[in-house]
Parts: sequence; structure tokens; C-alpha cells
Amino acid sequence: MPPVVEAIDLHRTYRTTTGTFRRRSLEVEAVRGVSFEIAEGELFGLLGPNGAGKTTTIKMLITLLIPTSGQARVLGRDVVEDAHWVRERIGYVFGGDRGLYERLSALDNLRYFAELYGVEPRSQRARIGELLELVGLEGREKERVEGYSRGMRQRLHIARGLLHDPPVLFLDEPTIGVDPVGARELRATIAGLKAAGKTVLLTTHYMFEADALCDRIGVVAKGRIVAEGTPRELKERVAEGVVVEIEVYGIEDDRVEALRRIDGVTSVAVEDRDQAQVVVVQAEPGREPTHDVLARLDGVSLGRVTTREPTLEDAYVALVTEEREQVSD
Amino acid sequence: MTSLRIFAIGGLMSFRALFGFMSPWIYIPTLVVTPLFQILLFVFIGRSAGVESDTFYVVGNAIQYSSVPCLFAMTFTIAGERFNQTLGPVLVSPAGRLPLFLGRSLPVIVNGAFVGALSFTLGSLVLGVTVPASAVAPLALVIVLASASCTGLGLVLAGIGLRVREQAVMLNIVFGLLLIFTGANVPIEQLPEWMEAISRLLPFTHAIEAGREVVAGSGLGDVSGLLLRELAIGVVYAVLGYRFLRFMERQGRIHATLERA
Amino acid sequence: MLSQSAFDGLLAILWPLFFGTVAFFMFRAGGDPDTLVYASLGAAVMGVWTATSVSAGSALQRQRWHGTLELLVAAPTHFSLTLLSMTVATSTIGVYCMAGTLFWGRVVFGIELPLEEPLALAVAIPATIVSIGLLGFLLSVTFARYRTAWTLGAMLEYPVWLIGGFLVPLTLFPGWVRPISWALAPTWGMNAIRDAATGSGSAWPDVAMCVVLGAAYTATGVLLTNRILFAARQRATLSLT
Repeated sequence: MPPVVEAIDLHRTYRTTTGTFRRRSLEVEAVRGVSFEIAEGELFGLLGPNGAGKTTTIKMLITLLIPTSGQARVLGRDVVEDAHWVRERIGYVFGGDRGLYERLSALDNLRYFAELYGVEPRSQRARIGELLELVGLEGREKERVEGYSRGMRQRLHIARGLLHDPPVLFLDEPTIGVDPVGARELRATIAGLKAAGKTVLLTTHYMFEADALCDRIGVVAKGRIVAEGTPRELKERVAEGVVVEIEVYGIEDDRVEALRRIDGVTSVAVEDRDQAQVVVVQAEPGREPTHDVLARLDGVSLGRVTTREPTLEDAYVALVTEEREQVSD
Repeated sequence: MTSLRIFAIGGLMSFRALFGFMSPWIYIPTLVVTPLFQILLFVFIGRSAGVESDTFYVVGNAIQYSSVPCLFAMTFTIAGERFNQTLGPVLVSPAGRLPLFLGRSLPVIVNGAFVGALSFTLGSLVLGVTVPASAVAPLALVIVLASASCTGLGLVLAGIGLRVREQAVMLNIVFGLLLIFTGANVPIEQLPEWMEAISRLLPFTHAIEAGREVVAGSGLGDVSGLLLRELAIGVVYAVLGYRFLRFMERQGRIHATLERA
Repeated sequence: MLSQSAFDGLLAILWPLFFGTVAFFMFRAGGDPDTLVYASLGAAVMGVWTATSVSAGSALQRQRWHGTLELLVAAPTHFSLTLLSMTVATSTIGVYCMAGTLFWGRVVFGIELPLEEPLALAVAIPATIVSIGLLGFLLSVTFARYRTAWTLGAMLEYPVWLIGGFLVPLTLFPGWVRPISWALAPTWGMNAIRDAATGSGSAWPDVAMCVVLGAAYTATGVLLTNRILFAARQRATLSLT
């Protein structure tokens, strides 16, 4: 069976201009060669930090942006050539609290988009009712959206994306800024969509979300897919190794570089935590880098040192930091 | 069927959604009181300068002020999608673009004509301007046509509004130009020749002229030439505006120019 | 109409020019050169009132949108002083409008302005501008409770042009309008500027009235501010947008 969504070496460059009088044109490569396939009924996640190119990739797939080069197909049709055909068969949901008509009620927001998607007038009312129930907004649909919380807006976004019952859904960071309980409910709704047989592309920068929901994950960094696989496969890439976390109070960049040069160390990342930083060192299986690491941190004020098994987050951090180093080289 | 519904129902909904003036707190000061005072302002300047009659200014300013509802509403109901960040979801939909964009102009025209007619009525009452009963229906038609043709210009501005951030500034400037050029207060024959030439290409100029003749007792047949020209100007702007909006949509997909709000 | 930017500045200069141009055409058609001078001076001050009335309507609202209203109220500086300086500062933008309109009238319509009493004019112009700013302050306080205050500010633009005698003499209006005109500082300021420029009378009594009214606006505005702020703190309506 052919894939439902296909991205083939997608590139997208933005040209921006800076300066008011002497305008200089600047080229930013947001996406630089993204390829993946999503099979029917699959929930595929694009996971990556902010600015990695996730949203740009989605915008190309949903016909909002034309790729600078490369190709994309949805249900076998090209998204540039057959934009109209594709639009009829996809749903698009994006995160954040904007993108709704504030002065209209949730019901009118849905009715408007039902018209735009050509939902049969006779079945409109029933369809909207079903969706309101699905996303848990029944009883609140007559209120103006301006009074809605972030979680409610997000659920309304999902209902809107489903109005025409599309077989393929694109969800762009649907849980961003939603409180933990609301986010959990949203994830349950998304899992329900997959159970209903939809093919879903989800972008997120939350690790656990990708882990919990996705059949497969593509990790995106700096406009490229740096790893792809099931959550389990991604974990296994680092599962054999070991992670050392050292709390430090002030560390210079050249020290971090020195740590990276230790034999057997695969990645070094520094995270800020209150007044201290935490240096996360990942090493190849069978290595025990703690001794070497501490030796090179001589003179640095140290806190707690812990050794543990790697998680999916470590896999992700390793992938993303590796990519950063390569790019800066 | 779908397109018809997008045109009629969708158009009305987006008007409600995006044209914030419909609240009475904004509508009454902006679209009822202010046009009346604009009429009074120019009537008194006219009296002071000793030039034209009160009727001249009542007709001219009632029609010219309907540019505020026409231009602002048309621009906001289309370019406002960008500010609202609803442009993406709308453009991703398979809805036909002709009914999508043009449907939004219908409520704008109706509202613009209402504002024009109301301003004329209030101005006439306050100033004691009388209109022969036979002129009421033709004048109503003139006002509707003026509103429609100005809304055509509004479509062009809506397209520009998708790119410029200072929409209100742009619209106010166009309003000011219409005030000078359409003969609302200065007969265009008194303007320098190059200005008169521009006047002939703008909405309102011919409608205002027709409106004055109708109030003075002319029949519709006498002003049909003026009205046809007004209509033609409106249609040309509307076609240009629609083309321009489609162009902006394509540019947006290629250059990502519609992405940043 | 609400944001502040270079484009707003551009509009502030152009806006009175649109009306000035129309008025110049009309008075020129009327054929009396004196009325043209009268209109030119009035049109120059029109822009000061526009800048003030529009921003007075939105001054508080803008702070609310930016979420800074609460910060300003909580600051140790007396809030009415903050608001006062904001509105008077906007009215001084009107100086550019004045210069622009006079220049336009001179270059395009060839209106030559007389300058009979330079000293009186040098006092009358700043007194008029500041008193218009103070009227703006009083309005911004009065409008504080309305969410759509910007429309009220804009709504007052034409009426004050009209009954302040900017373009037409007050004698054209029915008698009941005159007391309202007299309560407006711009009316006296406008008179003072005309008298000083044309030498048709002494400008000083008008300047004095302008100053007295300005002081009255300030006192009323400060009193109102204190009452409104107290009420707003009680009812928790400061941060409402």
C-alpha cells in the first residue's frame, strides 16, 4: 500500500530583509532536506526544538507554502499540483490560542468552517454536535471564543480540523501552553483519532508526548531529520550507554569542549537549573567516563554527581546537540 | 450550492467576526454621529465662504462618508484574518476563492448604503433640507451604487492590507483623498485639471453628481449615464481587487509573506 | 488610529492637510482673501486638536492593552501627573501639524500670513497648544471607564473644530451653542492667535482665558482621576481590556 503522506527531500528557504533604509536581504534555510513517509492509520511525530523546521514542514504538506525544492504527496497526489484535491482531504490544527474568531461563538466558528469545507447543510448540525461532544465543549458552544481558556480554544481547533471528517490530520504542537490536565485530555483525544483510523502527523517538542502517542518519530534539528524510528528504537540507540549528570556552579565553554574530546563520550549538554548548571555527559556502552570527566573539571565548583541509564530524552538531547555541533563546525 | 452558501452565509459570518464596528458603542459615534458632524462642518464652511447650497454638502458628505464603513469593513474582513491568525485555516480550506472573497463584500455594501442613507436623512432633518418625494427612490439607488463601487476599491485596499501593518493609517489617507477629489465639497470643475482627471477615475464622483441632480428633480433616466460610469468604475476596482487578492495568496505560498502577522 | 509609529506621525501631518485643502478651495471660490487667512490659521490648529482628541480617547486604553496601566498606577509618581504629561506631550506633536499646514497654505494656495504682534503670537501659540493638551487630559480621564473610548475621542474631532471657531466665525451658530464654545479653551486660543497675527485686537485677554480654562481642566481632571482610580481599585476594573 502506498504511503498516505510522503515528503521527498523537502527544502524551504525564507528570504527576509532587515534594516529600514539600507535593506539587506537575508536567506534562512528553515528546512533543508526532509524526507519521510507515513503509512495509513499511522501516527507519526516530528519531534524537535523550537525553530527546527517542524511548522514549515507542515505548512508545505498542507499547501500553505510551496517547497523551494523537493516534493510532497498526500494520498498519492502532489500538494502543489493538486492543492485543491488535497485540501478537501486534510485537516489542520495548530497550537496556541490564536486563529479563532474571537467575536463569534464556538458554534459559529465551526459553522463558518463547515461552510468553507462544503459540509452538507443537512448534516452540519449533527456533525458539529458530535464534534463538540468529542472535544468536550458541549454546553459551552454558544459562548464567544474571547472568553475561552487556552485548553478550550485548543479543543475547538481540533473540532474545526475534523469538521469534514478528513482521513489525514496535521496537528502542529496541539498541546502548547495548555495546563497539564488539559494536555492530558488532549492527548487522549489524539489517541482516539488514531484509534478511529486517521492518519496523523503530529509535531511537538515534548518528549513524553511523542513517546506516549507516536507509532514512529522523526527527530528534527536544524531543518533536517536526524533520526527516525519507533520510540523504542530511538531509546535503544542510547540504551546501552551510560549518562553522568554533574551539577556545577559556573562552567566555561572550553571546559565543555574538553569534555567532548574524552574518548567514548558521545554527547555533552549543559542545562541551566536555578543558580547551577547540570552537565549531562553521555558515553558509549561499556565506558565509565565519570573519572575522566571529574578530572577535567578540576577547579570547577561541583555539586551532586549521579550516574543513570539513558531515557528517550537523552536520546533526543544527544541527537539534537550532535546536529548543533556539526552545523557550527 | 456550496459556493452560494460560502458567498451568502460565509460572507455575513466573516463580516460579523471581523468588523468590530458593529458594537453600538463604536457604531453610533463612528457611523452615526461623526458623519452628521462632517456634514455640519462643511455646510458651515460653505455658508461662511458663501459658495454652494446646504443640499450640495449634505449629498456630497453623506455619500463620501460611506467610504468609512465600505473601506474599513472590506479591509478588516479580509486583511483582518491575518491579524487574527485565521488566514492559514481559511486558505487551507478548499473553499472557492471567488465566493470566499466576494461574499464578504455584500454585507459591507448593505452597511455602507445604510450609513450613507442615514447620514443623508439626519443631515437633511437637522438642516431643514427638503427632498421631493419622487427623488427618494432614485437617491436610494444612487447611494447603494456609490457604496458598491467604493467597496470595489475596498477590495483593492484589502489586498494591500494583507501586506502593510498600518491598515488604519492607509484607510484614513484614502478617506482624505476621497474627501478632496470626489467633489463632495468642491465642485470638481473648480479643481486643477489634473485633479479633475483623477476624480473621474474614483468611486463616488459620478454618484455624488447624480445624487445632486436627483435631489434637484432629475429622473433616473437623466442620470443613467453617470450611474453606469459609477458602476463601471466599481466593477473595475472589484476585478482588480480580486485579482490582486489571488496574486497575494500565490505570493504568500511562494515567499511566505503571509506568515508573519 | 491606535498604534504609535512613523505612519501615525505621517497621518497626523496629512490629516489636517486634507481638510485644510478642501477648506482653502472653498474659501478661495468664495473670493474673500480675509477668510482665507482666517481659515489658514484655523486649519493649522485643527491638527493639534486631532492629535489630542484621538490620543486622549485611547491613552488609558492603550496602557490597558499593553498591560502597563496597573504598573503606572502602582508607581510612586502621582498617576494624574503621568497621564497629564502623556496627553500634553501628544498635543505638542500638533506643532508639526501647524507648521505643515501653514507651509502648505503658503506654497500651494499662496496664503500670506500677517504677523502684527510677534510677542503675543509667541505666547498665544504655546498657550493654545498646552490648553488643548489639558482638555485632552480631562477627556481621557472622563472616558476612562469606556472600553471604546477611542471612538468618543474621534467623535469629538469635528464638533470642536466647528464650535471652537477654527474655520468659521461663531456668529454663524445659533445662540445656544455660544456658551459651549466659551467653555472650550481652544476657542479662546484660536481667537488669541488670530488677534496676534492680524492685529485686529489685543490677544492678551484671550490668552488669559485660555490659561484660566486650562487650569480649571487640570484641577477637575486631577480630582476625577483620584476618584476613578479609587473606584477602580475597589471594583478591580483596572486591568480589564
